[in-house]
Amino acid sequence: MLKSKLCQLLGIEYPIIQGGMAHVADGKLAAAVSAGGGLGLIGAGNAPGDWVREQIRVAASLTDKPFGVNIMLLSPFVKEVAQVVAEEKVRVVTTGAGNPSRYMESWKAAGIFVIPVVPSVSMTKLVVRAGADAVIAEGGESGGHVGELTTMVLVPQVCDVAGVPVIAAGGIADGRGLAAAFMLGACAAQIGTRFLSAYECGIHPLYKEKILAATDIATITTGKRLGHPVRSLKSPFSRAFYKAEYSDMSDEDLEAMGVGALALAVREGDWQRGSFLAGQSAGMVKKEQPAAEIIREICEEAEPLLKGAGAWVE
Amino acid sequence: MVFDAIKKLIVEFNDSDPDAITLETTFKDLGIDSLDTAELLINLEETVGKEIELDEEVTTVGDLVAFVEKKLKE
Repeated sequence: MLKSKLCQLLGIEYPIIQGGMAHVADGKLAAAVSAGGGLGLIGAGNAPGDWVREQIRVAASLTDKPFGVNIMLLSPFVKEVAQVVAEEKVRVVTTGAGNPSRYMESWKAAGIFVIPVVPSVSMTKLVVRAGADAVIAEGGESGGHVGELTTMVLVPQVCDVAGVPVIAAGGIADGRGLAAAFMLGACAAQIGTRFLSAYECGIHPLYKEKILAATDIATITTGKRLGHPVRSLKSPFSRAFYKAEYSDMSDEDLEAMGVGALALAVREGDWQRGSFLAGQSAGMVKKEQPAAEIIREICEEAEPLLKGAGAWVE
Repeated sequence: MVFDAIKKLIVEFNDSDPDAITLETTFKDLGIDSLDTAELLINLEETVGKEIELDEEVTTVGDLVAFVEKKLKE
């Protein structure tokens, strides 16, 4: 049985947090992950407060285990979503795309455990100072919006300055990745892409099919020119976007090209026009499984690896 | 004063031409993104000896100067 201080802090069984994937991570997936002993997250993305409230209630009706909400700080609805999680007294909030300092006081007052996603050492220092209870160090192997640094170099450097528990993210899809995360100094892993294959994940069947068929080199990063690069599966859409990015197309037109593309992938399975976000670990996702089984399998695989680590030392 | 300190940090940070940095210059023009801003801020705190909680959007160097001056008066 793996031991981690994050499990004690959050009251979860396994040191695995599900990524708060926008348009993908709804109350049903979050509940399945939490019921399976990990920490499920509802991805608020750009959704309004009412949708988030509804999903929190869906999750709460399906499990009595703790779960959380991921809040994208650049969302047009961020203020109302920030209020909803406080009103609903969600156990955990993770945040992306910035520093959540302005909401920290109200979340703390509601007893929420706040875990910002950090892509650098400086951001770690700023969010910890603002009161973060833990941080997620997310490397650029991950899907969706990505930073420049890899998990391998980001996690230890974040651990050096954080002073709070660090959760590793980006490129982790099996027990080997989880064991490595512990070695880098993290006390848990956040996993997104592997949960795309969970039975309880409601993405379009074609999206799942494409993830299961993905190889090691199946993803591409686009949008660097716009300042917020995104990793997705190589598809007609992402290839066209990549081409447009290096053409004379204006930033505004390029930005407009991406609007709505994720929803087309998730809901319609539109391979031509959809943006199928995925991390580099897509090549390691081989079968559809219940979320609980994914969690158990990853932890059971990590255990002997960690126990066997002594073999490297004489 | 604050402008000079920020200008110096930017020049040290990415070798920008000091003469090209004015109050109107945007961070985007200087090739400085939000992550770079976080690092600049930490360095700036060391220079001015005070914690600065950046809770406003800053687009230009002038925005940051005005923000820091306001915080230093608090």
